[in-house]
Amino acid sequence: MTTNSVMQDGCDTLPKLFLKKTAERGNRVAMREKDFGIWQSYTWNDYRARACEIAYGLLSLGLQRGDVVSIQSEDCREWLWADIGTLLAGGVANGIYPTYQSRQIEHMLLDSSCRFLFVEDDEQLDKFLEIEDALPNIEKVFVFDWQGLRELEHDKVAPIGDLYELGIQFAKGNNGLIEKIAAQGSGDDLAALVYTSGTTGMPKGAMLSHRYIIFQTLLAPEFVRLNEDDEILTYLPLCHIAERIFSGWLPIAHGATINFAESPETIAQNLRELSPTYVFAVPRVWEKFYSRITTAMSEATWIGQQSYKIALSIGMRRADKLIAGQRLSRLDRLCYSIADRLVFRNIKKVLGIERAHSAASGAAPISPSLLRWFLAIGLAIDELWGQTELGIVTTCRKGVFRFGTVGPALPGTEVRIAESGEIISRSDGQFDGYLNLPEKTAETIVDGWVHTGDVGELDEEGNLSITDRLKDIIITAGGKNVTPSVMENELKFSPFISDAVVIGDRRKFLTCLIMIDQENVEHYAQTHSVPFTDFRSLCARPEIVDMIGGEVARVNSDFSSVEQVKKFRLIDVLLTAEDDELTPTMKLKRSYVSEKYNNLIESMYARQAG
Amino acid sequence: MSAPLLEMRNIETYYGPIMAIRGVSLDVNEGEIVAVLGANGAGKTTLLKTASGALNSNKGQVLLDGEEIQCRDPDWVARKGIAHVPEGREVFPVLTVAENLAMGAFNRNDKDAVANDLETVYGYFPILRELSEQMAAYLSGGQQQMLAIGRGFMARPRLLLLDEPSLGLSPVLVQEIFGIIVRLNREQGLTILLVEQNANVALQVSSRGYVMEAGGMVMDGPSDKLLESEDIKEFYLGKKEEGIRGRRRWKKRKTWR
Repeated sequence: MTTNSVMQDGCDTLPKLFLKKTAERGNRVAMREKDFGIWQSYTWNDYRARACEIAYGLLSLGLQRGDVVSIQSEDCREWLWADIGTLLAGGVANGIYPTYQSRQIEHMLLDSSCRFLFVEDDEQLDKFLEIEDALPNIEKVFVFDWQGLRELEHDKVAPIGDLYELGIQFAKGNNGLIEKIAAQGSGDDLAALVYTSGTTGMPKGAMLSHRYIIFQTLLAPEFVRLNEDDEILTYLPLCHIAERIFSGWLPIAHGATINFAESPETIAQNLRELSPTYVFAVPRVWEKFYSRITTAMSEATWIGQQSYKIALSIGMRRADKLIAGQRLSRLDRLCYSIADRLVFRNIKKVLGIERAHSAASGAAPISPSLLRWFLAIGLAIDELWGQTELGIVTTCRKGVFRFGTVGPALPGTEVRIAESGEIISRSDGQFDGYLNLPEKTAETIVDGWVHTGDVGELDEEGNLSITDRLKDIIITAGGKNVTPSVMENELKFSPFISDAVVIGDRRKFLTCLIMIDQENVEHYAQTHSVPFTDFRSLCARPEIVDMIGGEVARVNSDFSSVEQVKKFRLIDVLLTAEDDELTPTMKLKRSYVSEKYNNLIESMYARQAG
Repeated sequence: MSAPLLEMRNIETYYGPIMAIRGVSLDVNEGEIVAVLGANGAGKTTLLKTASGALNSNKGQVLLDGEEIQCRDPDWVARKGIAHVPEGREVFPVLTVAENLAMGAFNRNDKDAVANDLETVYGYFPILRELSEQMAAYLSGGQQQMLAIGRGFMARPRLLLLDEPSLGLSPVLVQEIFGIIVRLNREQGLTILLVEQNANVALQVSSRGYVMEAGGMVMDGPSDKLLESEDIKEFYLGKKEEGIRGRRRWKKRKTWR
């Protein structure tokens, strides 16, 4: 661990920065959220007032420096108010996914010795009430939305309004206490716990200091091109490090306005409504965009299809020149501007990205073909790479397109490839280890270097490319090393495939479990008159299996024989974020899936009769 | 297994610009009672109207015994052997009970058989015989429902489409009418496609069920399996765990497994 001071605007902790910046920004809009379908704005003054009330309220209840406060809710304004309020009081904030079940919540609340808990509504509260006997450490629970709880009588549970009231009262006799607490804080203080969704075993709590947070805020506006005029849409869980950086910390440092999506189902509509100027999205969302456009195009009129085809070929030619670093001729520019005006602008409008000056993708690998398509329609997506333990580590540089790589390391961050092939990195902003897990910490931070668990390569320009997770690399029975994620990403590029898991460790050949994209496959079935009733019957239709087989064969043709998927099966259960098979960001968990669908996998390896 | 009596494939039906059914497939085998469940506006009635020809589908096929019958006039479909007992009974109010029943047999020329079937209907619904000279408008809701079913039966259809027979009826009457529906199926070999909101009774009398939501099928299976499904229990049968506080307001997310 290093002791260099990391400063943003002369501040080494988030509370110092927050107090300074909110005072400067005053009545500028900080966040918007819908209430009964109408966008309501909240200024930086509102943000500060609410956060301070929560901070004073928690202080009046006896919160001490370093005490943990947990927030179990979907994204909403109160989430951030409670988060910053906790930090202003000197506490440590911990986000809990609202999709988690009681068992995982119990582990996190106990492991962190959490004292106060914020929950979204009655549904989330019920999860706590189920396990409250096991959690004597929880002193008070505050509920953001009190609907349906009017008759509840429970001395530990109260609406958030009670906490604001407590805070207002307590502030009267303790004016300036928050500023004092902020002044006493230092960059090495713990600020947040972020539990990483353990694919095996219980989640581990990564300890993030204020230094970590401030270090992340230094990446903007140069490398993450986000500043005070920007509008962003907040839709990933704030418990996830990516959304916390983009919607929590960066806006505090740089002043962008955040807009909360109404729900995970309405992301597409909210995007169109807002047309944010900076779009951060996970590959799943970018894939969805692409498949929406390709499906729409397959149904367009002949003229529509032809103009899309021509425009795309112009766009692709321009994209290829940009990738190769060649200058664009005047003719190129002219052609492109026509294609843009007639075709691409409409596509971007439909998707809600026409105002976006920058975009980024992260949290999972993305297919280079997809990035090229977006560049062709005129949106350059920077791929970011990072993880909870390090924050953002690398990102592509403006105007330089090295698809397939995640760009060079950010300033102040070192990246190396260890002998094992594992990517290791260190920076002043790295995490402080896992809470209560000294052994896991020692395995991860060795001689000051964080071992990322990813395998990758650095090219001569210093661009990093990620091969795969170290533990995911498949060694076939023939002794050949195969990195499943390359194949998986290409499969996901198909509009009909939502996620895929390639299997084959110590096996004769590779196989694959595929989760189909419900919307697009249903659409396919409908247009091709394939009768089906529910999701299971859809997956069982031979026409659908054949169609997916065609997609697999198409992807296979780009791979050598040993790397090809020889057989596949469809997962015929429609999975939701509550299911253990998926991470909260809707990725299939390899280890869990291969265990749960063991029978399906074995059926692919069963020796065929004859 | 032989081919289904009624087969609907990828049906899409619009009300003007609004797609009421977006791709629905369904089978009814000879001799079965099949139930279609769903909330208001799920598209159940539209589905039956599409089957009987009262509405034209924009896409997909309706097959009766393998023959395409979609987008034909309703009277043609009726002659092919599909009788539709519409939602809200729709008896002819100024005709007598006997005349209403005769209307059911409008397409038939075999007088003896019709007389025979009339006796059968009166056998199942003795009250209709008592009221046979009454104007249908003066009948109670339950009696009108019986009349509507009787009228459907008088066509001697191969398939009877029943749209919400329990609508507006007391629980005792619902039991009685469904008892007769089951008997018609067992004793007369009548194949029935039943649309219902009363999931409990519908799943008890049917052998298979489909669940519709927002114009699409979300689940199908044998009725006894559906009765055990968590989602059906919570969303259609109103049985839910009370939750830790004894009163739960929030709803679980539907998964239809």
